Amino acid sequence: MDFSFTKKEEKFRTELRTWLEANLPEGWLEGKRDLPEDLDEYSRVLRAWQRKLYEGGWAAIAWPKEYGGRNASLMEEIIYHQEMVRVKAPPLINYIGIHMVGPTLIDIGTDEQKEKYLKKILTGEEIWCQGYSEPGAGSDLTGLKTRAVKDGDRWLINGQKVWTSFGHVADKCFLLTRTSTHPEKKHRGITVFMMDMHQPGVETLPIVQMDGHKDFNEVYMTDAVATDADIVGKVDSGWHVLIALMLHERTGIGAELFTLEKQFNDTVELAQQYKVNGKPLIENPLVRQKLANFYARVRGSLLNYYKNLTTTIKNGQPGAETSIDKLVVTELNQALSAFAVEIQGHQGVLFDKDAVADPKWQHLFLASFGQTIGGGTSEVQRNTIGERVLGLPKDMGR
Amino acid sequence: MDFSLTEEQEMFRGHIRKMLDKFGGTQLAREMIDNNPENLKKVYTTLAELGCSGINIPEEYDGMDLDALDLVPTFEEMGRSLVPGLFMETSALVVPILKKYGTEQQKQQYLSAIASGETWISFAALEPFNDFSPAGIQCTLVQHDGQYVLNGTKTLVPEAELADAFLVLVRTNQEDQEDGLSLVLIDKTEELNIEKQSSFDESTHVAKIEFNQLVIKEDQIIGEVDKGWTQLQEGLLYFNAALSSYIVGAMESVVNMATEYAKIREQFGQAIGRFQAIKHSIVNMKVNLEIARSLSHYANWVVDTDEFDREAAIYSARTYATEKFIEVSAHNIQIHGGIGFTEEIDCHLFVKRARYYDQYLGSTPFYQEKVVASLGW
Repeated sequence: MDFSFTKKEEKFRTELRTWLEANLPEGWLEGKRDLPEDLDEYSRVLRAWQRKLYEGGWAAIAWPKEYGGRNASLMEEIIYHQEMVRVKAPPLINYIGIHMVGPTLIDIGTDEQKEKYLKKILTGEEIWCQGYSEPGAGSDLTGLKTRAVKDGDRWLINGQKVWTSFGHVADKCFLLTRTSTHPEKKHRGITVFMMDMHQPGVETLPIVQMDGHKDFNEVYMTDAVATDADIVGKVDSGWHVLIALMLHERTGIGAELFTLEKQFNDTVELAQQYKVNGKPLIENPLVRQKLANFYARVRGSLLNYYKNLTTTIKNGQPGAETSIDKLVVTELNQALSAFAVEIQGHQGVLFDKDAVADPKWQHLFLASFGQTIGGGTSEVQRNTIGERVLGLPKDMGR
Repeated sequence: MDFSLTEEQEMFRGHIRKMLDKFGGTQLAREMIDNNPENLKKVYTTLAELGCSGINIPEEYDGMDLDALDLVPTFEEMGRSLVPGLFMETSALVVPILKKYGTEQQKQQYLSAIASGETWISFAALEPFNDFSPAGIQCTLVQHDGQYVLNGTKTLVPEAELADAFLVLVRTNQEDQEDGLSLVLIDKTEELNIEKQSSFDESTHVAKIEFNQLVIKEDQIIGEVDKGWTQLQEGLLYFNAALSSYIVGAMESVVNMATEYAKIREQFGQAIGRFQAIKHSIVNMKVNLEIARSLSHYANWVVDTDEFDREAAIYSARTYATEKFIEVSAHNIQIHGGIGFTEEIDCHLFVKRARYYDQYLGSTPFYQEKVVASLGW
């Protein structure tokens, strides 16, 4: 049991902190954190931030040094998340490129692919999205219908993707397609393409979410073109690529847990500020009990994350237990943001510019419903935990 | 960063598990329902032989001088089998209090005897129709002609039959109702008036003790007179950290029971574990268990430090553990169906113990308030 950081790790933290203080957008640390509403402007600002991270050597710390990373340890990644949450750093627009596509290419990409893509991922020159879900294939990806068919020396891609994060700003897509059909083993016959988003035949339409934001897109492909050189791994073995990609998620849900802890502290502050009948809400015994309960859950989730992380450090890769972290953080986030809205009383319904508390709990509350669905629904996480951690039998029909 | 128990600690766990399994696990609790403590006494002797009772006792009193965290495997394993008795009260309440506040003579008298397994000590704090607060303690210890005289009634005293002595919380100052309390150690003698009480958790026995003009020597008082409540709070930090470990072990048993049953029990031609209603219910139990375990390991680490969140971490581990123990043991009955509602299998033992511990020395809301207060809110 050792919760301390080594001198080297503390030095890393200081170095990052100093860099952030000097390089965050002007006024950011003081609280001026509004990002442009206009999509092009938004993308421009965040690309510039990505470029800055690259120039400072902070774009992809976990990557090997030879590809522009820092070969960071797991603990350094944790510190990186902690510090980014601490300053509420701007979102990483090339999240998918940095955390998923890049490491996978480093692992199984060809030399040409590494040469062609890696640096542009780091600099933000090429933003990536991933084309996984489809209207008929969400949690069960084996049901995907987007087809890639060989046509001479090129592939023609037809189909539709949905819930594509960053799709509206992306230059490239890490695309799952069906290239052949195996009625028995549906996960066979899937191929991953790196598809150019700026070509005729690729159309992106934003999806308006229940919180008014447009973080996701539908992507329609009509005879979109890719070549053999765009295939990751081998034809029909996209499932292996997916598994390789998932193993790269070493610190996974960490950043969200640190954010949750911060949001909990903000909730306490809210309860200290709000008055009911002339008294701060935090003096109300029922509110106190609920806060104590949230404290235990938030601390417990974070500690459980450290416990799983320790196992990851010892084994070299995360186990199925990390599904517990995803399940817990998203459900807790939903409960906590609902509570933060609830304690605002009738003012709790005020939205956006009229919301009375910062952070904008109303937005977090509405957005929380997507988090228990995206990245594997709570139900899928429970199946994973039940089957892979507890060894319970698979569901009927599977 | 390393948030795990050491290999040595895990190995030690293995020894204890093996030993307790040999004694039939929850059979020990069932024997207590029948008022038969013979095997339990043997288990306690064996635990002492393995060194468990001396883990957190200094070397000069024949202990191993280790930390609260080193007791975690023992408590988790005892919890797995719902082992009754006074191990927790002795090792995790009396020992830390004696170590911090006891006189040299008191340490010599009790710590070596505890380390060797000769002495087990119970805790007499609660009183009829009163809560667990300073105002709820009205047993009086009055100085009279150079002697101390004790009068009053204690209730819900655990395992009085197995106890060799009692740590008793008494009022020594009528003016100071916020505190004005003191802790005294009383050896069990014939003159104590002990009356067994009936509890729905029959695997843990509770008793009422009436003190009638009992004469106490000054050297039986632990620590400073009138400061007993404050001293007790320090001891309760260790106790609640230990209790959370014990409960984690018990919850683990419950989750295992439910999982194994769901794999073999068939309905509609399928193992019931294939139905998501069952599977997800067990997963929720498992998630609660793992969060409780993480809170509890941290609580037992932090109790020996002066970290800023020491109290909040321990109280939140206790509230989370007691609350979720009730929840998972209830779900376990539901998953077992009709048989879960019988005395034949263990489900009911866990439900009853869960409720017992939730209300032992305070309840969930009581400790939730302590979490919030310790954070300064």
